[in-house]
Amino acid sequence: MNKGLILIGYSLRRVRTLVLSMASLLALFQVFLIIVADSLHRNGSFEQLGELMPPFVRQLLGPSFIGFMSFGGIVSLGYFHLAVVGSLVGLSIALGTTPTSEIETGFIDLILSRPVARHLIITRSIAVMVISTVAVLLMMLIGTFGGLNVFAAAGATWPKRSLILSLASNLALLMLSWNAIAMAIGAASRRRSVAGGLVGLLALTMFLLDYVARAWEPAERVAWLSPFRYYNPFEMLTGEPLSVKNLIVLAGISVCGFAAAYFLYNRRDITH
Amino acid sequence: MTTKGATTPAVSIQGLTKRYGKLTAVNKLNLEADSGEILGFLGLNGAGKTTTIRILLDLLRPTDGTASILGYDCQKQSLQARAVVGYLPGELGVYLDLTGLEVLNLLAQLGSRPLNKKYRHELQERFEFPDKDLRRKLREYSTGMKRKLGLLQSLESDPPLLILDEPTEGLDPVTQESFYELLSDLKNRGRTVFMSSHVLSEVARVCDRVALLRAGQLALLSSVEEIRKLAPRRARVLFSEDVKLNESLPSGYQMIEVKPRVWTLAVESTLGGLLKVLAPLPVQDLELEEPRLEDVLIKYYRDDAR
Repeated sequence: MNKGLILIGYSLRRVRTLVLSMASLLALFQVFLIIVADSLHRNGSFEQLGELMPPFVRQLLGPSFIGFMSFGGIVSLGYFHLAVVGSLVGLSIALGTTPTSEIETGFIDLILSRPVARHLIITRSIAVMVISTVAVLLMMLIGTFGGLNVFAAAGATWPKRSLILSLASNLALLMLSWNAIAMAIGAASRRRSVAGGLVGLLALTMFLLDYVARAWEPAERVAWLSPFRYYNPFEMLTGEPLSVKNLIVLAGISVCGFAAAYFLYNRRDITH
Repeated sequence: MTTKGATTPAVSIQGLTKRYGKLTAVNKLNLEADSGEILGFLGLNGAGKTTTIRILLDLLRPTDGTASILGYDCQKQSLQARAVVGYLPGELGVYLDLTGLEVLNLLAQLGSRPLNKKYRHELQERFEFPDKDLRRKLREYSTGMKRKLGLLQSLESDPPLLILDEPTEGLDPVTQESFYELLSDLKNRGRTVFMSSHVLSEVARVCDRVALLRAGQLALLSSVEEIRKLAPRRARVLFSEDVKLNESLPSGYQMIEVKPRVWTLAVESTLGGLLKVLAPLPVQDLELEEPRLEDVLIKYYRDDAR
């Protein structure tokens, strides 16, 4: 069997518990949000909730606020809730630093003492990330559409399928871009904790930058640096189509990150 | 698997240098291991042994110089070079949630030769490492069991060249004995072994030649027999009554230990001069010990430590 496929199979077996657990939890979270949205819908509470929001939040969200304070908006929240985005970025960083972990433990010594090309280690990690991303988002979609069919009350306006798929696609590329950044930094590191911590800190900084820039003009000038800038769920909630520009930028970050990972991993000394 | 010509050295290292910033780990090292020999690769900690081994496996990239395995350049033809090597690292880095069998099967699949289950079982029997142990998670393994697993993974493809870093570290005496017997069998089958070790008695027993590294440079390269010749013999003189050493010994003799009825001397020349000194003394017996490899190597180690 092809050595790349052997490595992919082995790595998938190693991460399957983590990925499937997270996928199941996030799928359940989608169902939970549908139950919450259904309850709000039945009680007619969306308007009351809206009034409870401070004016600056309404101003910050703009027209998307109305879209958000709806059955469809609450259901869609499962694709941009801070906990969801945070855990998916965390998963991306964990998978992206797998090559670093193999160096740290010394396991890579055994693998690379066989006739295995170094680039296969990175290719394997990208393949595992893509498969994991598809698995997690597929489970989330199953949670959403399954939950809607089972729990949504008649008369509730479901979010458009195109909206959910757009959110999922954009989120997938956001995950991939953080995976690529983690892999590039990990390819130059000896310790997974250092690489993971550094990328985690960077992700938090970029998230805050994007968040602050929405309300503070000076931060807006550098907010283009943040990958989170290229995931705008609230715009999509107002009916804006999925931005191709955003997808291209995130894909570009991913390609650059993976290219850097290939380059650095190929040149580095494997030492632990 | 084809390898280059029969006269090609199993390992050839030419002007190999590895620097980490200001630190030079290996310095213009030249060394060859012939096909079919067991070469002991010695040196104190930090002498550059593991760095050299890792360059051979293309885990580290040299600053200068070249290394080749059976004619394949370790950097430019790395895949071909690694296809003919079995490697045992100094420390076996494994994930503890895997079983020994999972590790072996994965590594066998990544190797260049199809797995020979019969040979694997033969090795398991030699090392007393049954299937039930292989099915256990590695977190349940003792140091010795991990070492046995390391040996199995390096040996099971029966490669032409074995690179072993401290192979008997952590092994019990019975398994060590089995390992020495296995090395002898491998040598008889024309396999080459390039092994680092700190156990000098082991080196003296199994190696054909010894390469000793000091501060990243080759300090000694010779056959075990030649090195033994460099070592002084030891003479032990037993007296029937207490004696005192009144005069200095002639050149070629060095007193190692003096007790009232026993002298232990290092003899670097013939025994004639010593017999003259002993003639007036109440000698009861004179014992001569064979030269020991350790005596020469320890001297080199001490020079290194200074």
